[in-house]
Amino acid sequence: MNFGMPLLILMIAYFIGTHLEKRHFQSILKREDEARGFPVVSFDTMPDNWTASRSDLVSGSVVISLDYFKRVIAGLRGLIGGRIKTYEPLLDRARREAVLRMIEDARSQGYDAVFNVRLETSRLANATRNGKGTAGVEMLAYGTAVKFASRFANAQ
Amino acid sequence: MRFVARQPKEGINVSDTHPLVEAGTLVVGLTAIFVIIAVVLIFMVEVVLYFVSAEDEAKLFDGWLPEDLVTVSYTDERLLETQALVDRLVLHWPDAPYEFRVEIDDSEQANAMALPGGLVIVTQGLLDEVESENELAFVLGHELGHFKNRDHVRALGRGVVLSIFFAALTGNDVAGIGIKSADLTLRSFSRRQEARADDFGLQVVNSEYGHVNEAWHLFERWGGKDDSIIDLVKYLSTHPDSGDRAATMKRHAEEKGWQSDGEITPLSW
Amino acid sequence: MIISNTETIPGRKIVEFYGVVTGNTVRAKHIGRDIMAGLKNIVGGELKGYTELLSDSRKEATDRMIEQAQSMGANAVVNVRFATSSISQGAAELFAYGTAVRVE
Repeated sequence: MNFGMPLLILMIAYFIGTHLEKRHFQSILKREDEARGFPVVSFDTMPDNWTASRSDLVSGSVVISLDYFKRVIAGLRGLIGGRIKTYEPLLDRARREAVLRMIEDARSQGYDAVFNVRLETSRLANATRNGKGTAGVEMLAYGTAVKFASRFANAQ
Repeated sequence: MRFVARQPKEGINVSDTHPLVEAGTLVVGLTAIFVIIAVVLIFMVEVVLYFVSAEDEAKLFDGWLPEDLVTVSYTDERLLETQALVDRLVLHWPDAPYEFRVEIDDSEQANAMALPGGLVIVTQGLLDEVESENELAFVLGHELGHFKNRDHVRALGRGVVLSIFFAALTGNDVAGIGIKSADLTLRSFSRRQEARADDFGLQVVNSEYGHVNEAWHLFERWGGKDDSIIDLVKYLSTHPDSGDRAATMKRHAEEKGWQSDGEITPLSW
Repeated sequence: MIISNTETIPGRKIVEFYGVVTGNTVRAKHIGRDIMAGLKNIVGGELKGYTELLSDSRKEATDRMIEQAQSMGANAVVNVRFATSSISQGAAELFAYGTAVRVE
């Protein structure tokens, strides 16, 4: 058997995948810093002291996939079970990206806060291999965005 | 109720194990587990071998053929002569528990196989390759040596057990596995098994012809050949290097005081 | 740390809220458990191995969520929701999220 090619692909996948992940995390941190101060809560109802002038459903989603190297590790881990550590950064960054996109959606429409936030994960099955493989993971964040009637309403 | 903007600490939802460390641990650990399981399975085959005698095996595999073997016609002259040669050689193994059957596999790759129940398979490629009856007799004697040491059941047992294990591992249908000649590629004999079979082959050839001339001629030719010949690479990879092998046999024959020159019997084809 | 799946904590008043906190973990089942579960599937009933695996994982996800809340200086997480999703063949994500708050 020829192990050369798969090994080369594994190495390329590792280096590029790691680089992209690092860059994504940097971008997330920067944007989260900018979004600080924008209230995002999972309360079902709006906090009592908020008075809204208008509201709408906002959402943010992202479909993200793992690099080949980490997928191979995850596959090996699947044989013995336990925590699949290589999936955690993927899900973490996907979820934060989805929340950020939701916030950006709300902001671009002039809203001040989002409540009743819900987070969903779903797997996109591969079209090939009887749908056994994973094409990617979709993260969805949605909630109700509100515009405050008074700028200072929520400061009390 | 007041909103205060705060960020949670970074990295709580992410384990800090480096992916390369994780990969290393898994590869080493899984390899160890597989090796242990393989050793246990091979040991189980040995246990079965201990309880199933060659006579039982011959009864069990009476008339059996691998499912997808493509054989040549029963009236083929080469088949009849090879069968006759085996029958003559077996006379020098008086208490042989098998009734040996020869089949010719319709394959270009030069090879011979010992299969359960006394089934000897030689390929078309091998019959084209051999230049004298003495050469062919040695190859057949070598296979008889595998039967004598019961290497054939051992190897087949391992092949089948390991392929079931891998099927279970990869989630394939375990029940769908029969003994096919594809499994036979999983058979591999150790160098020690090959050397012992070689010794027996030489002994049989010496008893039959009174000398061992040309017995290792085939391997001398192969040893001198360029290894890039694809057909042979596979054969050579499971067998000791042909050149070394011829030298070992020569030494062995000298030790035993077997004649290394004598009349060569030509093949009829 | 008070955990609640309603948005209020009975008898307590929320004074400050800090935002959404999350906790997640991805777990794979191992072959041994798979085989046992496969056998158990024939007769039906509880697959103890899996129950244990998932509840362990859920606990870990909750712990991570709590850790996030603590790092924000919260003393309660309200409106907690759990979600389980299959990430790939044989791997499940256990996920918990809620709003980190400070109660009196």
